[in-house]
Amino acid sequence: MAELNFGYLPGDSFFHRLDARVKLIGLILISIATLHARMAPLLLLQGTALLPLFRIGLSPVKILRELRYFFVLLFFVFAARSLSTPGEALFSFMGISPTLEGTLMGLLVSCRLLLIALAGMLLMATTRTWEIKAAVSRLLAPVPFIPHARIGVMIGLTLRFIPIILHQVRQTQDAQRARGIETRGFFYRLTRLMIPLMRRTLKDADSMAIAMEARCYAEERTDPQLNAEKRDWAALAGAISICGFVILL
Amino acid sequence: MKILEIENLSHRFGDGTFGNQEIDLSVRREEFVVIAGPNGSGKTTLLRHLNGLLMPHVGTVRIAGIPVADDLRRARQMVGMVFQDPDTQIIGETVYDDVAFGPENLKLNRKEIERRVEDALSETGLSAFAARRPHLLSGGEKRRLAIAGMLAMKAEIAVFDEPFSNLDYPGVRQVLSAILALHRAGKTILLTTHDLEKVIAHADRLVLMAEGRIVSDGPPETVMAETERFGVRQPCTFRNGGRIESWLS
Ligand SMILES: Nc1ncnc2c1ncn2[C@@H]1O[C@H](COP(=O)(O)OP(=O)(O)O)[C@@H](O)[C@H]1O
Ligand SMILES: [Mg+2]
Repeated sequence: MAELNFGYLPGDSFFHRLDARVKLIGLILISIATLHARMAPLLLLQGTALLPLFRIGLSPVKILRELRYFFVLLFFVFAARSLSTPGEALFSFMGISPTLEGTLMGLLVSCRLLLIALAGMLLMATTRTWEIKAAVSRLLAPVPFIPHARIGVMIGLTLRFIPIILHQVRQTQDAQRARGIETRGFFYRLTRLMIPLMRRTLKDADSMAIAMEARCYAEERTDPQLNAEKRDWAALAGAISICGFVILL
Repeated sequence: MKILEIENLSHRFGDGTFGNQEIDLSVRREEFVVIAGPNGSGKTTLLRHLNGLLMPHVGTVRIAGIPVADDLRRARQMVGMVFQDPDTQIIGETVYDDVAFGPENLKLNRKEIERRVEDALSETGLSAFAARRPHLLSGGEKRRLAIAGMLAMKAEIAVFDEPFSNLDYPGVRQVLSAILALHRAGKTILLTTHDLEKVIAHADRLVLMAEGRIVSDGPPETVMAETERFGVRQPCTFRNGGRIESWLS
């Protein structure tokens, strides 16, 4: 797994050292704030999210590549908005007539989703799975009737599997390219990708479960230390005020 | 008391095939046992009973007198296992975290975990890699990482499933010397292989398996005479009547 993407990148940056709970709350705040944000602050925030990503060693090309499936999704969201929103038609071609209002709306929605994706990427790249697990269960601990440890484990494990699944996507694609699948149609390729992908991913998940069991895996374990220092409170305050601004602007 | 006692063990898989049949094997403390047999002879299945990853259909496995089924956690702490494919064994997102995974599951305190991880890394010569991503290590280093994981658990029995597969010459030597260091430190070693040449010079005992059963068990010099009959290649020097030399000399 030479090029593990969308996973943890070891390092010692500001975001690496930040308390996982603060990062998690920050991500949630940003996600909420973007729902109300307009274009200018969105672009500004995207730029702000990109800087630390560059700093921890992700190049623009890498970021684009990691998000390429996400861009397909964004395109569909954009197209759906621009075609379905009533308003002044931009042009009409073979019965397709996107509206000006729809196109602007589509751009805005795409930018919002993109910002959330970038912020999520930053969280994933700078936070270990077990820190996220610890953060989730600590944040949920005061909520009554919720199995906080178990939810933490579930979220942690789900995140842990994303890079494994993406790795398998790449392996499967490489194997198929080596046998010349590129000449076939999109849907043929998609179905041919999904079946081996599911099989391999399930096998990987199984092996990993066995390896974890072999080392006494338990829900109750020594969690990574989470200690909120001044820096963390400052970052939280910063995140809250930025989000407040974005909503009010 | 023997550190490992297997009595009349049989294992049948869900589809009715027998993985192991009527296995009797006891191993004394600090013994170095090589288990050889062709693919599908039931070596992996047998090893997985030692820490309760599989449970026998008939028979018992005792680790230092206590049945595995009575205390799974203890068995898993005492029996460290290096799987055939080291990639599937990596759990942590950095080398350090991977070694810490076991002790964290034992709910040790942070100080003790740090001490154990640092000791295990320095004993396996991986201290310099502590902050690296484990997936980027070489094959030999990945297996040393798995060994560090079992050192941090303070395992007494070190189990290796085909530890030399897919390794180049330097990799084999690295892993072999790490295994010998464990043995010198007083661990009991169980190792499976279908390639005797690389390790038999160091073994106290050779066990041959075929079709899920133990077909021969004794000192390497005597058992080696029969290996070819059961589909395991005899080391050339042995066939020519010479002494087997270590791969490290
Ligand atoms: N999960 C399983 N389900 C059914 N049969 C299995 C399973 N795992 C292994 N076997 C069968 O059990 C036998 C022993 O396998 P294994 O212990 O992996 O052999 P070895 O490690 O010596 O190559 C083989 O015939 C194999 O096909
Ligand atoms: Mg095997």
